[in-house]
Amino acid sequence: MSGSLLEVNGISKRFGGLQAVKKLSFNVNEGEILGLLGPNGAGKTTAFNMIAGFHKPDEGTIKLGGHNIAGSKPWEVCRAGIGRTFQLSKPFGDLTVVENLMVGGFSRSSDRKRIRAAAEEIAAFLGLERKGDTEAHNLTAFDRRKLELGRALSTQPRLLLMDEVVAGATPNEASEMVELVKKVRARGVSVLIVEHVMKVIMALSDRVIVLDYGSLIADGKPKDVVTSPEVLKAYFGERYVQART
Amino acid sequence: MTVSTIPLDRTAPVGFSKGPALALIVLLLAAGLPLVTQDSFFIHSAIMVLFFAYMATAWNFLCGYVGQLSLGHAMFSGMGGYVSVLLFTTFGLSPWLGMIVGGLAAAALSVVIGYPTFRLKGPYFTLTTIAFAEIVRIWVENTDTFLGFHIKGAEGLVVPMVGESFAAFQFGGKIPYYYIILGMLALAILATLIMERSKLGYCLKAIRGDRDAAEALGISPTRYTLTAFAISAFMTALGGSFYAQFFRYINPERNMGTELSIDMALMSIIGGQGTAFGPLIGALILTPLAEVTRGYLGGTFLGLHLVIYGIVLMLAVLYFPKGVLEPLKNLAVGLFRRRNPA
Repeated sequence: MSGSLLEVNGISKRFGGLQAVKKLSFNVNEGEILGLLGPNGAGKTTAFNMIAGFHKPDEGTIKLGGHNIAGSKPWEVCRAGIGRTFQLSKPFGDLTVVENLMVGGFSRSSDRKRIRAAAEEIAAFLGLERKGDTEAHNLTAFDRRKLELGRALSTQPRLLLMDEVVAGATPNEASEMVELVKKVRARGVSVLIVEHVMKVIMALSDRVIVLDYGSLIADGKPKDVVTSPEVLKAYFGERYVQART
Repeated sequence: MTVSTIPLDRTAPVGFSKGPALALIVLLLAAGLPLVTQDSFFIHSAIMVLFFAYMATAWNFLCGYVGQLSLGHAMFSGMGGYVSVLLFTTFGLSPWLGMIVGGLAAAALSVVIGYPTFRLKGPYFTLTTIAFAEIVRIWVENTDTFLGFHIKGAEGLVVPMVGESFAAFQFGGKIPYYYIILGMLALAILATLIMERSKLGYCLKAIRGDRDAAEALGISPTRYTLTAFAISAFMTALGGSFYAQFFRYINPERNMGTELSIDMALMSIIGGQGTAFGPLIGALILTPLAEVTRGYLGGTFLGLHLVIYGIVLMLAVLYFPKGVLEPLKNLAVGLFRRRNPA
């Protein structure tokens, strides 16, 4: 357990009569890419939003490097060292690519020159160096996604939360994104990724956890998890599992 | 539209470096204006253009960059005006100091109002600003004495003449006022340019772009919008003080009425909100237009000047939704490129 970067301990969230997440515990190890899976409505996004500070957990702790960040505001979570992307990319449309990337840099420093240099480095990392002066609303949908990822990186996070990064992408774009996320990890950033596309999860994740009805039902290597009866039951129903055995 | 912006983007740095030089030339020309003509009506009109440009710039400092429409900024103007006039008439304090005190008071008021209202988005924020401004105006109109100060309600306050004196902000002729408001406008635009390139500017533009995304990038929206709101209110109050000293008269209708709030917003929007020079362009177009239509048509067809004013506004919003500054800039860049083909 010494390599744990993020420790989620017994967090719950209830919306009115709906228990979205129930005593969920897991951790993300230093340098790991962890996939978070689950059928629609399993509570993935709620769990994600609690870590990112967009929802306050009803109970439980979320520790980043030993410090509890549960209940912190999104900007405090960011400054603590967690970056996030949104399911629907939210670029600042009338700012250029480099300016978009600079916004994140200001969370760490006020030195405009250094921030600009860092932003240009990230633009190059994303393969967007030739579009540095393009306003974000003129980018293609996939470039916007990459920008979204880069903007999160520009805050120099230790952990990156990624929400459905390849939704709507072509297969080529999806594999480009997979490579990009691997390069992100190579920069020393751990990644927690919520994803529906199995191929992406299998290609990327070191480890996978599966949520169903707000609770953890599996935790292990991607290959083992996707064939476990519990997970199949959650995705396809009891009958599918019985028919297979 | 998309096709044409690509080559223009590449030339943007060219236009950019010319920007400050161009601004300096315009400033020098403006400073030389009284040498060309001393005609009192002309100078008066020029002062009004600069005044509205200044007020719109103050409005734009917050609203243009953070993308919220305030239609209540006149309350800060009124605050600045009343504080400086009352301090002068009651204690004999120089309006130069009085306007700073008024500015600080307005900044404090903006924080009190801004803290609960900035969580509101779009029309809700706008309605709240109108409501606050109207409450303040109606309160002043119906208050004779407050904490021992004689506000004199709707009647307004006359600034007593003490003779020409710099300290008392009283000058013979209009030209000194012209230079004061020109200086104030130059400083306000400079402040906007500095803010644009600073952390505050990036944070405001990010909040305008997408509030959730801005929060996720470490920006506390309340903190940065309130900072900008306080600066904007401070600048607006200085303008309100100037207005009161220039006319040596202040009343709630003129100095803190809805019309002033709307003018500040419209000039920024027509000129190009969220740009340093947009409000100036807006004031250059709208102030003379309002004067001319009122002067020529106000007497014969009552209200017709407002109709024409309205039509021009509609055309501007329809054809230049981002303000007229951007198309003007593109035109200038296009001409520059044609003359100096790469």
